[in-house]
Amino acid sequence: MAGNFWQSSHYQQWLLDKQDLVRERQLDLQVLSEEEYQKLFIFFSNFIQILGEHLKLRQQVIATATVYFKRFYARNSLKYIDPLLLAPTCVGLASKVEEFGVISNSRLITTCSTVVKNKFSYAYTTDFPYRTNNILECEFYLLENLDCCLIVYQPYRPLIQLIQDIGNDEQLFSLAWRVVNDSLRTDVCLLYPPYQIAIACLEIACVILGKDHKNWFAELSVDIEKIQEITRYIISLFELWKTYEEKKDIQALLAKMPKPKQSPSR
Amino acid sequence: MQKYEKLEKIGEGTYGTVFKAKNRETHEIVALKRVRLDDDDEGVPSSALREICLLKELKHKNIVRLYDVLHSDKKLTLVFEHCDQDLKKYFDSLNGEIDLDIVKSFMYQLLRGLAFCHSNNVLHRDLKPQNLLINKNGELKLADFGLARAFGIPVKCYSAEVVTLWYRPPDVLFGAKLYTTSIDMWSAGCIFAELANAGRPLFPGSDVDDQLKRIFRLLGTPTEETWPGISLLPDYKPFPIYHPSMSFSQVVPKLNSKGRDLLQRLLVCNPLMRLPADESMAHPYFSDLSASVRAER
Repeated sequence: MAGNFWQSSHYQQWLLDKQDLVRERQLDLQVLSEEEYQKLFIFFSNFIQILGEHLKLRQQVIATATVYFKRFYARNSLKYIDPLLLAPTCVGLASKVEEFGVISNSRLITTCSTVVKNKFSYAYTTDFPYRTNNILECEFYLLENLDCCLIVYQPYRPLIQLIQDIGNDEQLFSLAWRVVNDSLRTDVCLLYPPYQIAIACLEIACVILGKDHKNWFAELSVDIEKIQEITRYIISLFELWKTYEEKKDIQALLAKMPKPKQSPSR
Repeated sequence: MQKYEKLEKIGEGTYGTVFKAKNRETHEIVALKRVRLDDDDEGVPSSALREICLLKELKHKNIVRLYDVLHSDKKLTLVFEHCDQDLKKYFDSLNGEIDLDIVKSFMYQLLRGLAFCHSNNVLHRDLKPQNLLINKNGELKLADFGLARAFGIPVKCYSAEVVTLWYRPPDVLFGAKLYTTSIDMWSAGCIFAELANAGRPLFPGSDVDDQLKRIFRLLGTPTEETWPGISLLPDYKPFPIYHPSMSFSQVVPKLNSKGRDLLQRLLVCNPLMRLPADESMAHPYFSDLSASVRAER
């Protein structure tokens, strides 16, 4: 649905306040530092990305799944549902909503098991523990917590328009696209409208490639301060990545993560 | 679920049973649509998801409101605004007579609901009298978005088996896979004629062939000249060349000439030539529409 963003549930219900996020995360941040919390979300974004790629999903579907995942935990503690279960549930739901087609829950489980074993053995030493009935049940909780707001606007479409306007530049486009993907590892998708994220990502790509489009950016009628805020989020992600070795740290982080008291089947 | 007291079964939707119910606290009457989870492996059916996510975005007085989605012991229940009846049942109560102001009002509201869907890049794809709800105040609302889908994202093809035969346009009957808002405009035209005739369906075909013959007998058989590309449609086959033998004043005798003009602009075989919803609303037929119907709120 490429309808009117300003009337969408995304704009009206799901652009959150920084303060909201801080408040909602308080429970988890008693156990984890902010940086540890972010590292866990980077890990699960990667997990969703790789799971999506194994299922041959379009990037749009993967991005929507990631946003569902982040929205869920923007309102709930990690204790509520194990993210290892919520991640595939988000992927399955996004695929249905984005009309990519139904991925059966059993295929979802099989693929998860393969991905955990082959790609994430550095994080999980045991087999993927969930079954189709867990996904089924989890989907209900997900729907409810998203308040059934399933249409998510992504920065990809505005990015395409911006690139056309700036003059088609394949190198710039593909880098900006990747920066948008990276932005899913930050909170910006919960805080800013997608067209602002697209502009910030494009600007970052210009800086990295040393392309000067300052005049073009100056003519955009857009809140520069917001763009700078988004840029700061993404730059600080890049800074984090410089020194962070996920493979070394993630097991300890996952062990420290708040967990459901029992398995989610009730 | 304790919040609602079930009153009676209203009908069967695309994917589940619909009940009338009462909110125990507010006493508000609602419609509950219970979603069947036939297939554990699919989870919530994609048709139900489509309806949920589209209705969550489409808030308009001519589109049925989704109030809430409840889940309890592995069942999903959608809570909708309740309307007194659907257009089909309304027709059944008419005994062949309808007030022409009501025809105009319903048609305008149908077009306004559609214009809103289309401006949000949503196709309904399954318009028929059973899917148009009517309440006591004479308001009409589009319902049952189980087959609706967003068309902003390029999707290569839509399944051919979507619209109920009687309201299905010739391009879809010929197997067109890439259709647009024009599909709903054809259905709106068929419903317009049915309204004007107090519930007598315009093209009650029994199968695809019969459906196309009924259409061509009224409108004339389209050719490559009137509809370039027709012979390239996947299920195209030549039909006898019918020449219209009946005038629209015979088809919809009660409708005035402006109304007939609008009808003829909607019932066009070539989908590219069908009038869109917003332009239909601006048609002179509606120039004397009552202000209360025209009012947005």
